[in-house]
Amino acid sequence: MTFLQLRDIKKKFGEVSVIKGVSFSAQKGEFVVFVGPSGCGKSTLLRMIAGLEDVSDGKLSIDGKDVTYEEPAKREVSMVFQSYALYPHMSVFENMAFGLRMAKLPEDEIKARVLEAARILQIEALLERKPRALSGGQRQRVAIGRSIVRNPKIFLFDEPLSNLDAELRTQMRVEIAKLHRNLGATMVYVTHDQVEAMTLADRIVVLRAGLVEQIGTPTELYDNPSNTFVAGFIGSPKMNFLDATVTDAGVGVLTVNHPAFIGGSIVISSPAAGRIRKGERITVGLRPEHLTLNTDKPRLRLTLDISENLGGSTQFYTTGGSEPVTLIVPGRPAIAAGNALDVGIAADHIYLFDAQGQALRA
Amino acid sequence: MRLSTSTLLHALGLATVVAFSLFPFYWMVAASFKTQADILASPPVLFFTPTLENYRAVFADAKVFGAVGNSLLIASATTALAVLLGAPAAFALARYEFRGKSDLWFWFISNRMMSPIVLALPVYLLALQTGLLDTHLVLILIYLTFNLPIVVWICTDQFKSIPPDLEQAARLDGADQFTIFRKIYLPLGAPGIAVSAIFSFIFSWNELLYALVLTRRNVQTAPVVATSYMSGYELPWGKIMATGTVIVLPVTIFALIVSRHMVRGLTMGATK
Repeated sequence: MTFLQLRDIKKKFGEVSVIKGVSFSAQKGEFVVFVGPSGCGKSTLLRMIAGLEDVSDGKLSIDGKDVTYEEPAKREVSMVFQSYALYPHMSVFENMAFGLRMAKLPEDEIKARVLEAARILQIEALLERKPRALSGGQRQRVAIGRSIVRNPKIFLFDEPLSNLDAELRTQMRVEIAKLHRNLGATMVYVTHDQVEAMTLADRIVVLRAGLVEQIGTPTELYDNPSNTFVAGFIGSPKMNFLDATVTDAGVGVLTVNHPAFIGGSIVISSPAAGRIRKGERITVGLRPEHLTLNTDKPRLRLTLDISENLGGSTQFYTTGGSEPVTLIVPGRPAIAAGNALDVGIAADHIYLFDAQGQALRA
Repeated sequence: MRLSTSTLLHALGLATVVAFSLFPFYWMVAASFKTQADILASPPVLFFTPTLENYRAVFADAKVFGAVGNSLLIASATTALAVLLGAPAAFALARYEFRGKSDLWFWFISNRMMSPIVLALPVYLLALQTGLLDTHLVLILIYLTFNLPIVVWICTDQFKSIPPDLEQAARLDGADQFTIFRKIYLPLGAPGIAVSAIFSFIFSWNELLYALVLTRRNVQTAPVVATSYMSGYELPWGKIMATGTVIVLPVTIFALIVSRHMVRGLTMGATK
C-alpha cells in the first residue's frame, strides 16, 4: 500500500529550479533515506513533505489524502531538525508536550504520552531540565521524543546526526534503527552521509541537482548503480574509475585498454558486450574492497603513493597509469611507498559505464 | 612595569571620560544643595554648607507632584502602547516577506531622521484644531510616533536572532501564527523587548520640547515644570536643580539596575 506519494514534485525559488520533478512513493512502515551531496535539494524535498516549503508544481499525498496544499500541522507528520529546534525556554517535558497542548489533549493523556516517549528514549531523568542543560546526544533524544509523542503518520529527519561527534553518531544511528523497528513507523530521513543511508534505509533515493538519480535498496544501489554518480556516492571508500578504450568486442566479452592493466589490457566478460563497439570509450568501475593483493592472476599494476594503517585493514592510495586508485585490504601488509603493487580484481565486481556515465547493462 | 604604565594610562583615560560625563550631573546635584548666593559665587565655591531649602521649596510645590504623576502616566502609557504595537510589527518584519516591506522599514527609519523641532509647529496646530492641546493623549500619541520605530527596530533585530527552525517546529506542532508569537517569540525576545521598553520609557520621561509646546497648565510633565521656574525676573537655580535631581533620580536608578540587561539586549542580535 502506497503511504507517501510524490508525483512530479517541483520547487522553484524565484527563477531558480531546485527540485526539477521528483516522483517517488513509499510503503507504510518503510524507512526511506534521501541522500545526495549538499545542494542536491534533499532537505527542500523533505521540507515540502512537511509542508514547510510550498510545492511549486506536482502532487503530494500521504495515506491516500492529497496534502499538496495542506497546512503542516494537518499533515500529521513530525520532524527532527538538524539543529534539534528545541524551545530553549521550555523544559524537556514542555518541549515534548507542546504539540499535544496545541492539539488540546487532556492533561493526563499529555503526561502519559510524554512519559511513555521519555521511557522509550531513556530521558525520564531529564524531563525538568531546560535544553541548554543537556548534551548534544540528550538534545537529540528530546527532539526525537517530541516527534514520537504526537504519533505522526510519518517521521521526517533532516540530517539529525550531523551535529554529533562520530561515536555518538554511530550510537544514535543504531537507536534510530531500533526505534524504527519498534514503532514500525514510516520514516523519511535526509543525510549526505552514505554510511547512514546504507545502514538505516529500506530504500535509498539518491538525488543530484534536484533530480532523482536512482531509487533502490542499499544492496541494489551498491551492486547495480545506474550511473557513475551513484556508483561513486554509495560505498566507502569511493569507487575507482578508469577511463578505458574498448579494443575488441566479442560475444559476451570485451577487451579493454588502460595503462593500469597489466599488459595494457584486460578481457572482461559482460552481458552488455553486444551493445559496445570497438573503439568506444568506457569507464571501468572498481570498488576498493574488491581489489586484492597476493593474487595468482594480477590484473592491475599500481604504484603505491601512501598507505593508511586502519588497524584491522590497510588502505592503499596508488596510481595506475595516471589515475588514482584506492584499495582496501585486510591486515597490515608492509609495503613502502613507490613500490609497484600487482593487484587482482574480483571478476564479478567489475562495473562498466558508457561515455555518458550510464551503467552498461544487458 | 610597562603593563602597569599602560594600565595606569588606561585608568586615567577612563577617569577623564567618567569625570567629563558626570560633571554636569554633579553640578546639578551640588547646586540643588546650595544657596542662591553660593550658586552664583564667582569663582565657584567647592566647599559650602549644604541646605535642604531648595528641596523643601520643591516638595512644597504641589505642581511638582502633579508633574511627576503626569510624566509617569504618559511615559508608562506610551511604553505600553509602543511595545503592544511594536512587538507584533517587529515579528512580521522579522519573519515574513510581504510587498512594501522595505518601504515600511524605510518609513520607520525616516521617522528618526527628521529633527523633532521641524514638526513641532505642525503638530501644535494639529493638536489645537483637534482640541487635544494640553491633554495626556496628545503627548502619548506624539511620543508613540518617536518610540515605535525604536521598539520595532530593537525587537525586529531580536526576533531575527531567534532561529527560524523553532518557528517551523512549532508550526509542525500545530501552533498558529499568534501562538508562535506568544509562546515562542515573546518569551525568547523578552530581553530585546525589555530594552526597547526601557528606551521608550526614558525618552518619554525626559522629553521636553513637545511637552513644552503641547501642554499648558493641566498636563505639564516634570521637565516642563523644572523649566517653568525660569520665568519673570528671577532664576531660582537651586529650585530648578533640585527639581532636575528629583526628575532624573528615578530613571537613573532604574537604568543602573537594568543596565546589564540593556547591554546584553543590545548586543544579543549581533553576537549570536
